[in-house]
Amino acid sequence: MSSSYDKCVRCGSCVKFCPLFDAVGEEQFSPRGKIYLLQIMDQIEDDPELAKEFRQLLFQCTLCGRCSEVCSSDVDLLKVWHEQRAKAVEMAPEEFDYLDALRNSLANVANIYGLDPEDRAIYWLDELEDDIPGLGDRVYEKGKTADTMVFLGCLMSFRGSQMDVLRSLFTMLEEVGEDYLVMGAEENCCGHPLYLMGDEKGAAELRQHNKSVIEDAQAKKVVTCCPGCLIQLREYHNLEKVEALHHTQFFDQKMASTPIYEQTEELAYHDPCELHRILGIKTEPRSLLKKLGVKYREMEASCCGGGGLLRMTDPGLSDIIIQARAAKEKLKDTVVVTACPSCREQLLASENRTKDIVELLADASKGGAE
Amino acid sequence: MKLRDIAIGANASMYYRMDFKKIRGVYYPKTEADVLAAIAFARENGYDVTPKGGGSGLSGACTGGDIDRIMMSSLQMTEMLAISKDMGYVDVQPGLTPDEINAVLEPMGMKLHVAPSSRDIATVGGILSTDGGGNDTWVNGTMRDNTIKVKMVTYDGRRLTVSHEGVKSDDSELEAELNNKGMTINDIASSHGTLGFITELKLFIRPLVNETLAGSLVEFPDYDALGQAVDEIIKRKSPIRYGETIVTAHPDVREGFNPPLLILQYPEGYDSELSEFVDVKKLDKEELKRMKDVRLKLPKRNPKKGVQFALFEGYGFHEESLRKMQSALDEIDALLQSHDLVPFAKYGHAPSKWYLGDNTAAYGIILHSREIRPEGKTGTELLQILLDIVERCESLGVTPKPEHKWPFDDKTKSARLSELRKIIGQGFNSFILDETCNGVLSSMV
Repeated sequence: MSSSYDKCVRCGSCVKFCPLFDAVGEEQFSPRGKIYLLQIMDQIEDDPELAKEFRQLLFQCTLCGRCSEVCSSDVDLLKVWHEQRAKAVEMAPEEFDYLDALRNSLANVANIYGLDPEDRAIYWLDELEDDIPGLGDRVYEKGKTADTMVFLGCLMSFRGSQMDVLRSLFTMLEEVGEDYLVMGAEENCCGHPLYLMGDEKGAAELRQHNKSVIEDAQAKKVVTCCPGCLIQLREYHNLEKVEALHHTQFFDQKMASTPIYEQTEELAYHDPCELHRILGIKTEPRSLLKKLGVKYREMEASCCGGGGLLRMTDPGLSDIIIQARAAKEKLKDTVVVTACPSCREQLLASENRTKDIVELLADASKGGAE
Repeated sequence: MKLRDIAIGANASMYYRMDFKKIRGVYYPKTEADVLAAIAFARENGYDVTPKGGGSGLSGACTGGDIDRIMMSSLQMTEMLAISKDMGYVDVQPGLTPDEINAVLEPMGMKLHVAPSSRDIATVGGILSTDGGGNDTWVNGTMRDNTIKVKMVTYDGRRLTVSHEGVKSDDSELEAELNNKGMTINDIASSHGTLGFITELKLFIRPLVNETLAGSLVEFPDYDALGQAVDEIIKRKSPIRYGETIVTAHPDVREGFNPPLLILQYPEGYDSELSEFVDVKKLDKEELKRMKDVRLKLPKRNPKKGVQFALFEGYGFHEESLRKMQSALDEIDALLQSHDLVPFAKYGHAPSKWYLGDNTAAYGIILHSREIRPEGKTGTELLQILLDIVERCESLGVTPKPEHKWPFDDKTKSARLSELRKIIGQGFNSFILDETCNGVLSSMV
């Protein structure tokens, strides 16, 4: 039986869409180049240096899925990359030592930063409790129940750069009168980083705890701002009678109309790859922007360079991608609206201005932009 | 050796398994100076130079065969250098694709009218080197018809500018010698990188045509009826703006349509004349879009079981072979099936224009063919089948589009290229003109 990559006819339609090829301009970084290497692997696998280089190359990819989207030959390229990554790590774990810190953190404390799990609801609670009275009571403890469980994810739980988004998220949840809890210290990493490196077993262990907490809370919905977390919650947590939603979906459903956003800046919308291409969530973010009366331009549906663990596996390439992107899209005087904490980190790290859609919502609700 | 020395071999042809040890360097130049430096390295070390564009061609020319060689990709030569809307040209580096050029031109109301189905990856340098075209060559000609002039660098590092009128060079002796030989853009067209590396092209651009087009589907009972209808279109010089045929398609990708058929677009109102010789079924915008999509994706899709591959592309049906397509195609299919090759799809541009090896224009159907890849056939066996097809085509008066496949290129073009290479150097893509070419290609299947 043919492997999926055998179906590739090497037509090259994926080459110019690939952010890695765009950044480096050499064929080995393109999806076609990588598939070609797989197709002729029998010619090169006996050379240990080439085999090692190939394993490294598999992690020089943002897993943005553009190649899968454009492929007309029925090659599920994303699946190929996932399978090959798993195979690479299994074959030569010593070459992926640099991922050990991440793996150990997830195994020991169930977050990507290696911080005390109790701290998941410490930093932001300290910062936001004055602004949002009663927020402390929203943190899940055994026995508490709510209609909606908020799954923040590691980035939003621990990163100060996400604080404005969190503030807006909680403000809006209060605004719409939602009965919600935040998982807090009971939240495990969703497993997405392990999934991206092909460690399905490790990811499954993390998910199991989340599933039991969400179901114990009798939540009907679990809402997250992070598309990576949503992939895991929606596709891999096996949640029963719990609907997993992106926050843009949640607020678009909740708010038939919104206050008008008093726009003073030039805005552009960046579609997070995992949100629109992998999860297929395209209309809700735009629906919210429309309700807000925002004028914005659409950015090319291309990756910010922050996906697929690239930030960790090759930060230099990740930087090149976002810098090239910012120059091509002329972002200097533009605020990039997006809906993904990882894209936000990537944009901020390259000194671009960015806002999550929920920030626009919160600004509009209190009567205009800050 | 690094993976970059291997991945450069990625291309759409069936010739992709190569001896990578013979690739002595891989270059992605950005400027003419980079090109000159790479060629100098090759020359000093006695290596051949293989130019490569998008790698979407099916001839295998961009592989370089099995000669010790450097590979030089144009994929980083992607600057638009000048646009003159008034004078109708654009100066570009060779690594841009028609899609990339038109993304800039179309908001200005202009367009480069060359549209191969691989226009998202095929580079203009590569398209000229194969003299490619698309479904609109009937209206807009092939790449050579859309090229005003090119700048190129030869193996000995000299620079040439070649136009339809002749050659210019800083080296007056070389210029005179090449002009004495009558060298023009016709020689660069379909030269498959054997003459030099193209560093810049001046291309015709024309306004986007603002006319209301109607779309139609025409179905035929057999291949003869299809060929005769296309012959009539050619005789009448019908204003077909888009003409594609699906001659056969595997049930897995046929999507309910009933080939042989033509998908046509023409100025609103031309139906009445068209109806004089074919039964026209009008298509609305969505139906037309769907038909075009079905056709466009045929080279990229696969059957539910097995994988398609391109053994031979570019059957050129013209004149008598066009009017009697049925018997010719029956013979070709019988030959394929006798070698356990299951026909997957035959489709192509109809009406179309292409050039024969002596630079005369031919008009008819350029038919592409895909088969289901057979299990267990060796490269040598597959190449032999291919050569059998070529021989059969010659006896049937079906002219293989000469620039598509080198093993069966006509002798006129080969002789011409050899003649020119004696003057400008012989270090570019030499395997193509070598008598061992077929054997080399078969080793790469």
